[in-house]
Amino acid sequence: MIEMKNLERSYRTGHTETWVLRRINLTIREGEFVTVMGPSGAGKSSLLNVLAMLDDQWRGEFYFADHGVHAMNRKQRAELARRRIGMVFQSYHLLDDLTVAENIDLPLSYKDIPKSERQALVADTLDRFNIVGKKDLFPSQLSGGQQQLVGIARAVIHKPDLLLADEPTGNLHSEQAKEIMQLFRALNEQGTTVVQVTHSETNAEYGTRTIELRDGWLYRDTAGLEANVAEVKA
Amino acid sequence: MMQDLRYALRQLRRTPAFTVTAVLTLALGIGANTAIFTVFHEVLLRSLPVQMPGELVQLSYIGSNMGRINIFGGDGTDYFSYPMYQDLRDKSTVFSGMLSDTEAQVGAVWKNQPELVNAELVSGNYFDVLGVNAAAGRTLLPSDDRVKEGSPVVVLSYDYWKTRFALSPAVLNESILINGHPFVIVGVAASGFHSAINGFKPKLFFPMMMEAQVMPGQDKLADRRFVWLTVVARLKPGVSLATAQAAMTPLWKSLRAEELTSITRGSAKFREEFVAKSSMILKENSKGFSPLRDDLKTPLMILMGMVLLLAAMTCVNLTSLLLVRAAARGREFAVRYALGAARGRVMRQMLIEGLLLGTLGGGLGLLIAPMAASILVRRISGSENDALYSVAPGGVVLWFNIALSLGISLLFSMAPAWQMMKPSLNEALRQQSASTLGGAQRFRRTAIAIQIGLSVLLLSGAGLFVRTLHKLKAQNMGIATDHLLGFAIDPSLSGYSAKESLGVQNGVRSALAGLPGTKWVGGTTDPVLSGNQERRSLQIEGYSAPQGEDVAVEAPHITPGYMEALGIPLIAGRDLSEADGVNTQKVALVNQNFATKYFGSPQKALGHYIATGGPATKLDIQIIGVVGDSKHRGVREGVVSTVYLAFAQYPDLSGLQFYVRTLQTPEMAENNVRAALHGLDSKLVVDSMKTMDEQIDDSVSNERMIALLAVSFALVALLTTAVGLYGVLAYATAQRTREIGIRMALGAQRMAVVRLVLLDMAKVALIGIAVALPVSVLMARWLRSQLFEVQPFDPLTLIGCVVVTAVMVMAAAALPARRAASVEPTKALRTE
Ligand SMILES: Nc1ncnc2c1ncn2[C@@H]1O[C@H](COP(=O)(O)OP(=O)(O)O)[C@@H](O)[C@H]1O
Ligand SMILES: [Mg+2]
Repeated sequence: MIEMKNLERSYRTGHTETWVLRRINLTIREGEFVTVMGPSGAGKSSLLNVLAMLDDQWRGEFYFADHGVHAMNRKQRAELARRRIGMVFQSYHLLDDLTVAENIDLPLSYKDIPKSERQALVADTLDRFNIVGKKDLFPSQLSGGQQQLVGIARAVIHKPDLLLADEPTGNLHSEQAKEIMQLFRALNEQGTTVVQVTHSETNAEYGTRTIELRDGWLYRDTAGLEANVAEVKA
Repeated sequence: MMQDLRYALRQLRRTPAFTVTAVLTLALGIGANTAIFTVFHEVLLRSLPVQMPGELVQLSYIGSNMGRINIFGGDGTDYFSYPMYQDLRDKSTVFSGMLSDTEAQVGAVWKNQPELVNAELVSGNYFDVLGVNAAAGRTLLPSDDRVKEGSPVVVLSYDYWKTRFALSPAVLNESILINGHPFVIVGVAASGFHSAINGFKPKLFFPMMMEAQVMPGQDKLADRRFVWLTVVARLKPGVSLATAQAAMTPLWKSLRAEELTSITRGSAKFREEFVAKSSMILKENSKGFSPLRDDLKTPLMILMGMVLLLAAMTCVNLTSLLLVRAAARGREFAVRYALGAARGRVMRQMLIEGLLLGTLGGGLGLLIAPMAASILVRRISGSENDALYSVAPGGVVLWFNIALSLGISLLFSMAPAWQMMKPSLNEALRQQSASTLGGAQRFRRTAIAIQIGLSVLLLSGAGLFVRTLHKLKAQNMGIATDHLLGFAIDPSLSGYSAKESLGVQNGVRSALAGLPGTKWVGGTTDPVLSGNQERRSLQIEGYSAPQGEDVAVEAPHITPGYMEALGIPLIAGRDLSEADGVNTQKVALVNQNFATKYFGSPQKALGHYIATGGPATKLDIQIIGVVGDSKHRGVREGVVSTVYLAFAQYPDLSGLQFYVRTLQTPEMAENNVRAALHGLDSKLVVDSMKTMDEQIDDSVSNERMIALLAVSFALVALLTTAVGLYGVLAYATAQRTREIGIRMALGAQRMAVVRLVLLDMAKVALIGIAVALPVSVLMARWLRSQLFEVQPFDPLTLIGCVVVTAVMVMAAAALPARRAASVEPTKALRTE
C-alpha cells in the first residue's frame, strides 16, 4: 500500500541544513499495524507528516496505492489524503468552538456528501464509539481520554484506508491508553492499515510490526528482519 | 512608578506597528477635532474681547424698509441711517452708551508706499462704549466726532501697528495720507481687539465725521433714507434685554412716525403699517455682529458633526486595537497573576501605557491642529490677505482636547484591563494559545462593523459635497471664464476727485489695451460672481408694474469693451461705444432675460426708454442693445434681469472693476498689468487682483472647504478603519493558525480557508454598511441647504460609497487571508 524509496527531508535554518529523514526505504502492506519508535527528535513526526501528505518538502519516491505521490501537486495530494487517510494527534486538536458532533463531522464537511448522509454517518460513528451522550458537549467539557476518543472518531468517520496516529496516548494515563490501543487493534482487524508513533513498549505490542528511527535513519525494522529470514529460508 | 513607566515604554517600543498606529489614529482624531473646534469656537462661540460683552446688544427692527437705500444688500433691517442713530442714542434711557460703525476700505500712503487697507468708520464713543483702551497714545473720543470733517485723526489696530510700524511709538502724531488726505495717528487700540464686527479685522479706525474723506464721494450723515450703520448699545447694569426692548418700542414708533412724514408715496395700507407693524428688536451681541458668521454657521456645524463622527471612530478604533493587544498579552497577564502580581498592579501597568499613548497621540494632534485650522481659516477668509480668525487653540478648546485625549486613552486602556480581570486564571493558563476572550472577539467584530458604518456615513457625506462642488463648477456662467484677469481700481482712494476719475479710468483702460498680451479690456462698477449686487428700482416704457411690485434690476455701470472682455455675446442692436458720453443720449444694454421678460423678445426691446428711480422719473435712457444672459452674484444664483448703464455717462462714479482678456495665461499677465499701471500712475492702488477661475473658486469657497474637509475626514476614517480592520483580522488569523492547520489536516482546501476569513469580514462589513446606508440618507437631509442640484438620496453617491468601502475591506482583509492560506499544517500542529 505504501512504498518509500530514498525519501529524504531536511530543514533549512539559516545557512545550515538539518536532515530529519535520511534515505528512508519503507514498504507498508495493506492491513499492517506499524509502530514507529525512537528517541525524541528522531524524525518520527516528520515521517508521519510525509505519510499524511501534510508535508511537501521531501525528496525521493513515495507511492500510495499505485499513485506516485512524488509526481502529484499539492492539490492532488490533499485530495488523495482527504479521501483515504485519517489522522490522530497527541494533543487531540479538536476545535474548541465546535461540539463533539460538529468536530466529528468536520472531515465530511470538506467532501461532497449530502447532508442527510453526513448526519447518518455522524450518528453511526457516535454510536460506534459510545459517545452519543456527549455529542452536544464542547471539548473543554471532556476528559483527555474522551477527547482522544472523539479525535479518533473524527479520524475514521470517512473510513480511511490508512490511520496515522502521532503519540495518541502521550497525554493519557495507562488505563485510558489501553482503551485506545484496543480500539486501534479493532480498527486494524476490520481492515484499516494503522501507523502509530509511541514511546511505550506496551503500546507497541498491539502492533504487528515495529520500526525504529534514530537521527533520521531507519535503524531497525522487525518486518525487515522477518523478510531477511524469509529470504534466507528461500 | 518610574519602573512601570520604563516598562510601559519598552512595551510600546516592542510593538512599533501597534504604537505608531495607535498614536497616529489618536493624533488624527484629536488634531481634526481641535482644528475644527478651534474655528468653530472662534467664529460661533467666542465673545468679543471687550468689557462685559454680555451687556452688549445689537439694534435691529422689523417692519418695511421700502423707500430706503441700503448699500449692503442682505438683511436691511440690521442697518440704520446716521440721523436715526443719533435719535436712538440721544433719546433712549436704558443704555449706558450706544455706538455705530461701518466697514470701509481706504487707500493709505505711508512713506510714499500706497496700500489698500480695511478700515472702520466709528462713532466717537466707540471705544468708550466697548471699554477698549489704547495700547499707545489714545483711542478715538467723542470730541473727535463733533464737527463734520473737523478732526482728521486715526487710530491704528494693534496688529497693523505691529506689522507695518514695528510697534514704534514714534508714529504717534505722525501724519498718514488717507485717500489723499492727511490724517494724524493719535493712538493704537488694545492688543487682541479687532472690531465690534466679528470676523472683521480693520487696520484703521476713523471718526464718523470724517465720512466724506474715508468714503470718497459719500456724504450721507444727514440722509435719513440712507441706511448703512450697524448700531450696538450697552445695557445699563441690571437692565435685561426684554426690559430694554420694551422700553425702546414707544421711542421707535415715534421715530418711525416722524420718518413717515418724509415719505411721500405708498398706499394707505403701507403708510399705516409702516408704524403699526414695526418694532425694535434687540439682539444679544456679546459675540459681535457678523454677517460672515451666518454664512459659516451651517458649514461649520456640518464639519463639527463630521469631526465628531471621526472622533467616535477614533475611540472605537483605539478600543479595538487595545483589546487586540490585551488579548495577545492574555498569557502574559495570566502568568503575572499566577506569579502573584496584585490585580491593581497589572491594571496600573495598563493605565500607564494608555496614558503614554494618550499623551503622545494627543500631543501630536495638538501640534498639527493649528496648521489644519489655519488652512481652514485661510479658506474662510477667501482672498483676504489677512486671516480673519486666530487659530491658536486657546483656553477652553485646548483644555477640552487635552482632557479628551487623556480621557479616551484612559478609558480604553481600562477596557482591556477590565477584561483581564474576568477570565478565570487556569482557563487562560491551560490554553495553548491566548484565545481566551470569546466576548472580546465579539466586541472586536462589533467595533469593526461600527467603524465601517461610520466610514460609510462620512464617505457618503463627502460624496454629496464633492458632487455638489462638481455641479457648481459645471454651471454655465454665461461668460468665458478662462484667460480672464480681474482687479479693482478706485482713483478716489488715491486723492482724485470724482470729476478727475473718469479721465484716470480712461487712461487705465487704454494703457491696459496697449499691453501686448491684452485681447480685450473693460470695466464695471459691479464685479461678477463675487456676491456683489447693485440693484436699482427701474421704470420701463410701456410696462406698468402690478400693485405692490417694485421693478428692481441688477444695474452695473460698464465701459466699452466689457462685453468682449467677459465674452458675453451681443444678441441684438449695438454695443456701447466710446462716443457714448456725458453729453450724448443716455444709453443702456439689457440682457436677454430682461428683454424677454418686459418686451417679449430682444428685437422688441431695442429703442425703448427706461429710467432708474421712482415712478415719476423721466424715461431718459434708451435701450441700444441686447446681450446674452450671465450669472451675476454667485454660481448658485440664477440669471437675473440686468440693465448695463454707461459708466462714462455718470460723472460722480469713481471705482471700477477691470477685466482683461489675456492671450497668455492670466497669471502670467498679472505682473505686466501691475507694471503698466505703476508706470501710468504710481499713486493708483490695484486691489484684489485675481483670475476669473480663482474668483469662481472663491465664490464656491464654502462648498470647496466642506468638500475638501469632508473628503479628508472620510479618507482618514477609511484609513483608520482599514488599519483597525487589518489589525484585528491579522490578530484573529494568527489566533486561528491552529484551527486552520487542523482544518487543513482534515481535508480543507486552501481556498476554503481564504473564503472562511473573507466571508467572516464580508459579513461584518455587510452589517455595518446595511445599518449605515439608511442612516446616511436620513442625515443627508440636514445637509440639504448646502447641496446644489444633488438630492440627499443620491444613488450614485451611495453606490460609490459601498464600492469604495467594499474595496477597502477586501484590501485590508487580503493580507491576513493570504497569510491564513499559507499556513503550513505541519507547523501549525506542532506541539512544543
Ligand atoms: N519546522 C521545523 N523547523 C526546523 N526544524 C524542525 C521543524 N520541525 C521539526 N524540526 C526538527 O526536526 C527534527 C525531527 O523532529 P520530529 O520529526 O518532530 O521528531 P520526533 O517526532 O521524532 O520527536 C527535530 O530535531 C526537530 O527539531
Ligand atoms: Mg514527535
